[in-house]
Amino acid sequence: MPKSAYYIPIGPIHPALKEPIRVEAEIEGEKVVKVDVKRGFAHRGIEYMGMKRNAIQTLYLSERICGICSISHPYAFVITAEKALGIEAPPRAQYIRPIIAELERIHSHLLWLGVIAHEMGFDSLLFWIWKGREKVLDLLELLTGNRINYSVFMIGGVRRDIKESHIKALKDMITYYWELTEKMKEIILSDPVYKARTRGVAQLSKELALKLNVVGPTARAAGLRMDIRQDMPYDAYADIDVRAVVPQDIVGEARGDAYDITMVRIYEIEQSLDIIEYCVDNLPEGKILAIPNYVALLAKIRRTKGEAIGAHEAPRGEVVHYLKFDGRDGPSVWKVIAPSYNNINSWAPLLLGAEVADIPIVVAYIDPCMCCNDRVALLKTPEGRVLGYEYIHRKAVEKTRRIEREVKK
Amino acid sequence: MNVEQILEKLKESLGDALLSYEIKEYTMGVRRKRTLYEIWAEIDKSAFRKAVETIFDIDYPHLHFITGEDTGGDVIKMIYSFGVYHGHPWGEISITLKFDLPKSELILPTITDLMIGAETNEREIREMLGVEFEGLKNKRHLFLPDDWPEGKYPWRRDEYGVDDMIKHTHKSVREIRKKGGENA
Repeated sequence: MPKSAYYIPIGPIHPALKEPIRVEAEIEGEKVVKVDVKRGFAHRGIEYMGMKRNAIQTLYLSERICGICSISHPYAFVITAEKALGIEAPPRAQYIRPIIAELERIHSHLLWLGVIAHEMGFDSLLFWIWKGREKVLDLLELLTGNRINYSVFMIGGVRRDIKESHIKALKDMITYYWELTEKMKEIILSDPVYKARTRGVAQLSKELALKLNVVGPTARAAGLRMDIRQDMPYDAYADIDVRAVVPQDIVGEARGDAYDITMVRIYEIEQSLDIIEYCVDNLPEGKILAIPNYVALLAKIRRTKGEAIGAHEAPRGEVVHYLKFDGRDGPSVWKVIAPSYNNINSWAPLLLGAEVADIPIVVAYIDPCMCCNDRVALLKTPEGRVLGYEYIHRKAVEKTRRIEREVKK
Repeated sequence: MNVEQILEKLKESLGDALLSYEIKEYTMGVRRKRTLYEIWAEIDKSAFRKAVETIFDIDYPHLHFITGEDTGGDVIKMIYSFGVYHGHPWGEISITLKFDLPKSELILPTITDLMIGAETNEREIREMLGVEFEGLKNKRHLFLPDDWPEGKYPWRRDEYGVDDMIKHTHKSVREIRKKGGENA
């Protein structure tokens, strides 16, 4: 049997800064019969680079690990560094950080909702959702000066404060997104075509999710109540009763399919709005940096030996960093684990037996840190036919239209 | 089980192989303080598999990461980090196992029979440090290219390292220009 490949390269809209990846799938008829996953195409040795710089430089470097969830790695990095060095961020900074992180979660989930709609052929839905995403990006620009790569976190606090004028904009955004999530529930979750198209697709059981070591919405859609903000809370998350969003709490049962993961992400946007509102309403007064003088900060790092593990719940799941300091002004060991590192494990079991028309949904299911948009992907049949991404996408859309016709009878 | 009980179970299971341990406490939160606990245990490498099985007996864990550090001497320090009791609000306890692996015998038993998701981590350690995992079925490269040279491991700091493969790492531009001809 000749090996075939379904390539998912870098697209123009989704900078694949972490893991462009290749899924090799063999098909018979309309079913996938063999799966192989190859990654490493974007492995740039960032950890190696980070161990040759001082800790502040490494913090900025960590932000470049991912372009979509660019606050997640700095967040995990500063939590880890503060634990290792014995530095505590001021209370105000501990409330500002979750605000930035939850804004990022909102825009990341909205991005995914648009992508999954596109994979099924709902392109108008894609544009509508992404139009809604602009408001949170505008707000991040207002707060930090950038739409992505905010450069706002620092060991011992944050580099930018939230002003009174920002708070009104935050409140307006919260109102806007409460309305948007209600519309999304109506348009997406209540739509019989969407439901028929996603129920039973990419179904991940709770037991398998546990054994595959998956994290984030992928794990929660399978019914696992795991969320670092709940289990090992940090900063203001410890003041809030964050609870993992799982399907059984919403509709009484977790099936772990594409519909459930859509539901989890929409309800998590609402959870983010609650968290932002709490943090804005209870923002403590005071300074935003424990050690404003970076020379003094680096001196403290040189004086301190320590190691620690820290984690942040990124939009895609748990980000874990391990840092060890032993007398240099930067880390001597730096280990980074991103959510896709774990979640990609689920592709092989989910794709086996899947229809060709469902491949894009399975691949997009975990919200991997790259997307298969408008580049040629190849799927080779055992007879040697080469099928492009356009073919696979067309099959996905055809299935949607067929289901749509059946539902409307 | 609380953190003391977990530690007692590890002591009971590992005996003298538990070389040293520490319970780290971190207080989190502003208005409502929460205390988080982490167990850091230094173990003898022969007890590694037993330690992992003990953790799986306590609660089916989440594997945070596996990493290793070439300290520049004769050993590689391995670090495994697990989280037990995830899904319990404020109740997850991190258990980190550390042990020295002599470079003369870089072999560890796999844990993929207990958790298939650990395959990713083990494949990475295998290609970055040269540690072999006994029982690991999938031994293809994870991140490194298929034509990566044999015997070269990016995280090593000895003769198996990659220093001779690297150019211009963190050199200043001035320094590079000074040696202009050598960089052709």
